[in-house]
Amino acid sequence: MIVTMTLNPAVDKMYWVEALKVCDVTQEEFLTRATRSTTSAGGKGVNTSVFLSRLGMESVAMGFVGGYTGHVVVRDLRDEGVTTNFVWTHGETRVNVTLLQQGREHSPNLINESGQTILPEEMDRLMRRYRRMLNRATWVVLGGSLPPGVDPGIYGELAQMAKDAGAKVILSTGGEALTRALKACPYIVKPDTREHMTLEGKELTSVDAIVEAGKHVIACGAEIVIISHDVTGDIAITRDDVWEIKSSTPTSKFRNLVGADDAFLGGILYKLVQGEPVSEALKFGLAAGLASAESEEKICRSLAVIEEEMRDVTLVKL
Amino acid sequence: MKVREIMTKDLTAVEKNIPVRELIFILNNAEMPNVPVVDEDGLLTGFISEKDLIRAALPGYFEMLHSTSFIPDMNQLAKKLAQIADEPIERFIRTTVMSVTEDDDDLQAADLIIRKNIKNVPVVDKDGRLVGRVRRIDLLRHFL
Repeated sequence: MIVTMTLNPAVDKMYWVEALKVCDVTQEEFLTRATRSTTSAGGKGVNTSVFLSRLGMESVAMGFVGGYTGHVVVRDLRDEGVTTNFVWTHGETRVNVTLLQQGREHSPNLINESGQTILPEEMDRLMRRYRRMLNRATWVVLGGSLPPGVDPGIYGELAQMAKDAGAKVILSTGGEALTRALKACPYIVKPDTREHMTLEGKELTSVDAIVEAGKHVIACGAEIVIISHDVTGDIAITRDDVWEIKSSTPTSKFRNLVGADDAFLGGILYKLVQGEPVSEALKFGLAAGLASAESEEKICRSLAVIEEEMRDVTLVKL
Repeated sequence: MKVREIMTKDLTAVEKNIPVRELIFILNNAEMPNVPVVDEDGLLTGFISEKDLIRAALPGYFEMLHSTSFIPDMNQLAKKLAQIADEPIERFIRTTVMSVTEDDDDLQAADLIIRKNIKNVPVVDKDGRLVGRVRRIDLLRHFL
């Protein structure tokens, strides 16, 4: 069984606008009408679960939800066919807003709330449930930011518990939470570099710096480290190899980048669960991420489109 | 149709040692009228509902009354509920649990829900682990 853990899920609210203008100080107000909008459950683990479900693979989504927006998250996941196992909290699940401007969809504007504060007793409840789920888990996906009130060492603790229970861990987060979780040696590490282009405090500004930082994480016990190099290419470091995964897809084809990174991880997991080699999983993962970026919908739903996308993906040993 | 095709895939459940206060919080926030009780392996061991808590907080003779006009107000309920709020739910749990499996026919779930007048029935896998529940509304929305 695959378990995805999203400690800080969100309602993803997306607006498509013809032009995005900011209110001038001299104006009383400025109205921008959306030409389209969508509402869906979001967060790294949540998106990965939705991706897997759309490809027919079962997973259990866990984490914290609260209030009206918490019900939106749970309802959307159930409609997507994902099994839910969330802990209800006193607070309200956050809302993340994405503004997609016509013709500039490749660089959306994002406004992300920090999330509800988690109380110690709510964390205890989650840990009890997580422990129960680990009896059945083979893979655990830990991803996303941490809500206020949660110790940055939490991903390390969750990863260690999963490893002790015999499950493989995929970790995708950034900052201190990432650095502290590396000690638990997750199977796959994908740093979230949207805010911090760093790994263990080292700047990831060149290919050489990425490879060096990745190799250090491998030496600490991880099996695969994947680091974003540019929008259509990543670098994967394993014990034996360093690969550059790249696509010739032009960024002008991108329609919605939100969730593309989570589809990437979901694609890798989808293939690894089926026993495919890492090289194949990496190619499929990038294709899944690009297929998501090229669809207006947050997460792509067609295996055929991903397979089509794979024709443009190359894997080169560095 | 099989139960797996109509069930709500949700694993919200509680353990027998949580206090009554926490159970009320979960029932209220998850908007569930009842919740399965599981052990540390996720095996279904019981069931507890709002009704069980109300029954626990009311005087024993309440159900024998034909009318509530003998009860002056809700103070008795509030007082009793405050007394049991921090007690583990264990003694209020129903341990005789009706359940169906994912591979059962939808008719079996419908039969239990209608004949036993329950709002939902837990679904377990072949090992007895909770995998979801069939709600009354699941039956209705799938057959419309």
